[in-house]
Amino acid sequence: MSELSALATPAALTVTDRIRLSVAIAVGNAAAVTSRLAGKGSGASVRGQILTRLVPDAFPLLLQGRRVLSVSGTNGKTTTTHLLAAAIRAGLGVDATRLVTNADGANLHYGIASALSQARKADIAVLETDERVVSDMIAHARPEILVLLNFSRDQLDRHHEIKALGRAWRQALESAGPAGPTIIANACDPLVTWSAGTAARVVWVETDTVWHADGALCPACGEILQRIPADGRDRWDCPGCELSQPEATYQVAGAAITVPDGRRVTPNLRVPGSFNISNAACALAAAVEFGVDVDTALAGMHTVTAPAGRFATASFGGVAARLLLAKNPAGWAEALPLAQSDPVVLAIDSVAADGKDVSWLWDVDYEQLAGRTVICTGPRAHDLAVRLRYAGVDHRIEHDLVSAISSAGVDHVDTIATYTPFQALLKTAGLR
Amino acid sequence: MTPIKIVLLYQSLLGIYGDRGNAMVLRKRLQWRDIDAEIVEIEPGDAVPADGAVYLFGGGEDAAQISAVKGLKADGHIFEAVEAGAVVFAVCAGFQIVGNTFTVGEHDEVIEGLGLIDVDTRRGTERAVGEILSHWIKPDGTESLITGFENHGGFTTLGSAATPLARVEIGIGNANDGTEGAVQGKVIGSYPHGPSLARNPELADHLLTLALDRELDPLPMPELDELRRQRIAAIRKAGRS
Ligand SMILES: [Zn+2]
Repeated sequence: MSELSALATPAALTVTDRIRLSVAIAVGNAAAVTSRLAGKGSGASVRGQILTRLVPDAFPLLLQGRRVLSVSGTNGKTTTTHLLAAAIRAGLGVDATRLVTNADGANLHYGIASALSQARKADIAVLETDERVVSDMIAHARPEILVLLNFSRDQLDRHHEIKALGRAWRQALESAGPAGPTIIANACDPLVTWSAGTAARVVWVETDTVWHADGALCPACGEILQRIPADGRDRWDCPGCELSQPEATYQVAGAAITVPDGRRVTPNLRVPGSFNISNAACALAAAVEFGVDVDTALAGMHTVTAPAGRFATASFGGVAARLLLAKNPAGWAEALPLAQSDPVVLAIDSVAADGKDVSWLWDVDYEQLAGRTVICTGPRAHDLAVRLRYAGVDHRIEHDLVSAISSAGVDHVDTIATYTPFQALLKTAGLR
Repeated sequence: MTPIKIVLLYQSLLGIYGDRGNAMVLRKRLQWRDIDAEIVEIEPGDAVPADGAVYLFGGGEDAAQISAVKGLKADGHIFEAVEAGAVVFAVCAGFQIVGNTFTVGEHDEVIEGLGLIDVDTRRGTERAVGEILSHWIKPDGTESLITGFENHGGFTTLGSAATPLARVEIGIGNANDGTEGAVQGKVIGSYPHGPSLARNPELADHLLTLALDRELDPLPMPELDELRRQRIAAIRKAGRS
């Protein structure tokens, strides 16, 4: 357990490094302003790219002198990062400016460097971290806390073996040894459990996970995992080796979270969905480990409404659209039950950020939309239309994203989009 | 009449790329023609039915491939079914495991496959990832374009008992040698994974024709024609990105 008021060990940068960084940040900031004036978004990404081009080691340098909490996983890391940052800010009270976070969800090396460059004096960093950056984060930032939410198939054209990433995490944690981070890990996810297996210390959270399709085999020995019913829910267990679902100290049941002292608390969240209760449980565990008390942390999380635009409502041509992001089958399994409007707008793209392969459309249970009308939009609207034809779901195609919403013929329409159309809608709505 | 059985094998092991889509497409294309059909989902430990009309294999990672072969050999019914004339359609890693041998892991350990088709797979010189376009010669001698997405590290070579399914126009296919997939009797293997049959209705109907041993009425689907037109144009425009 950490002390919230403890200060970070100051960075030991050379004068040369300080000057290099300051110059690069100034150049990056100027480019960000230009980009913003040109209407190309916040400019954070341009700043990060210039910064890391001018100072290739900006990422490790800017991490120095901070106490770091890192959040990773396939789904929910942006929301969880916002929840955790809000919980810690609440704990810090008047000292909340000590905290810096990459609130825009830019979670690769340059995105993190960009966020850190804007708060040189902040000594607590809550950082959403892409799965591919976790190993570097462990090595360079020596994070105090690392939250591992879940690990599922996502953009398999890039990550053809998710297990290889888990192996890299294990190695990084092993190298970090006893000085490594305290892991807050989802005990229901076999791959997360295995990946955290080399950590010096783990706080387990039993979440309410709906997606099991990526956890069929034991990541340690390859045997088929068994699911054993216990207390009305399944626990996973490997018949071939020692790996099994760990006992958790935080447990999610419905809308409530059981905390280590046995108390059941109900986070009064303003982000929807049962999966966000699980995200909140992980954020809560991380905040408590960092020295925030449970009630203060929950009060902080209550302030989070639309993390990086997720779940935001925006108007397009007089139609109010609630914007939901879904990036992979597990994300769609969470988002679809939230989208209750008729019609519902679904936007699909397949550039690199969305995953070039749209085969995942067939792993999503679109059949549950039967009886309602889907407006298909985005560059891969036709792939979705064919999927819906086979699912027996009524649909029409509207190529233009904004028209898909404004032509919906109702006051309010839920909209689920993959990454690129989601960002495009936020930008059109002035939300980024 | 009992429903036509479409047997979907081991989705928890072999289903990482939307491969379930192939079963959904086959069932729907029968139902739309008023032919009763069902998907029988078989997981490891379940008995594989020997009276299926079509058996579907999807893609999976190394450990899953080994588990799948072990489970299917222990069960044994797949061999009876193929002997009795069932249709097998195996994609991606599924194509590799229905062959004679394939390799797994960093040290390229050779694993015996099911031996349903005379092919062998070894680590390729590059990983094949991207859209693929190939030309399939249909039984009537005419040509049909097959479009899909391939993602595999193994290169497959055909033995004398198997013939290529198609000729590659863009993409890697079996071994960057211009061939794609393999056919041996009613066993068909192919690299474009997952919902390949969703994009290639003529191939889907070919499997059903083989399984039912009769011709099927055409099923017009304008939005599918449009999807095919778009994808074929996109692949040709981009070449291989
Ligand atoms: Zn095991």
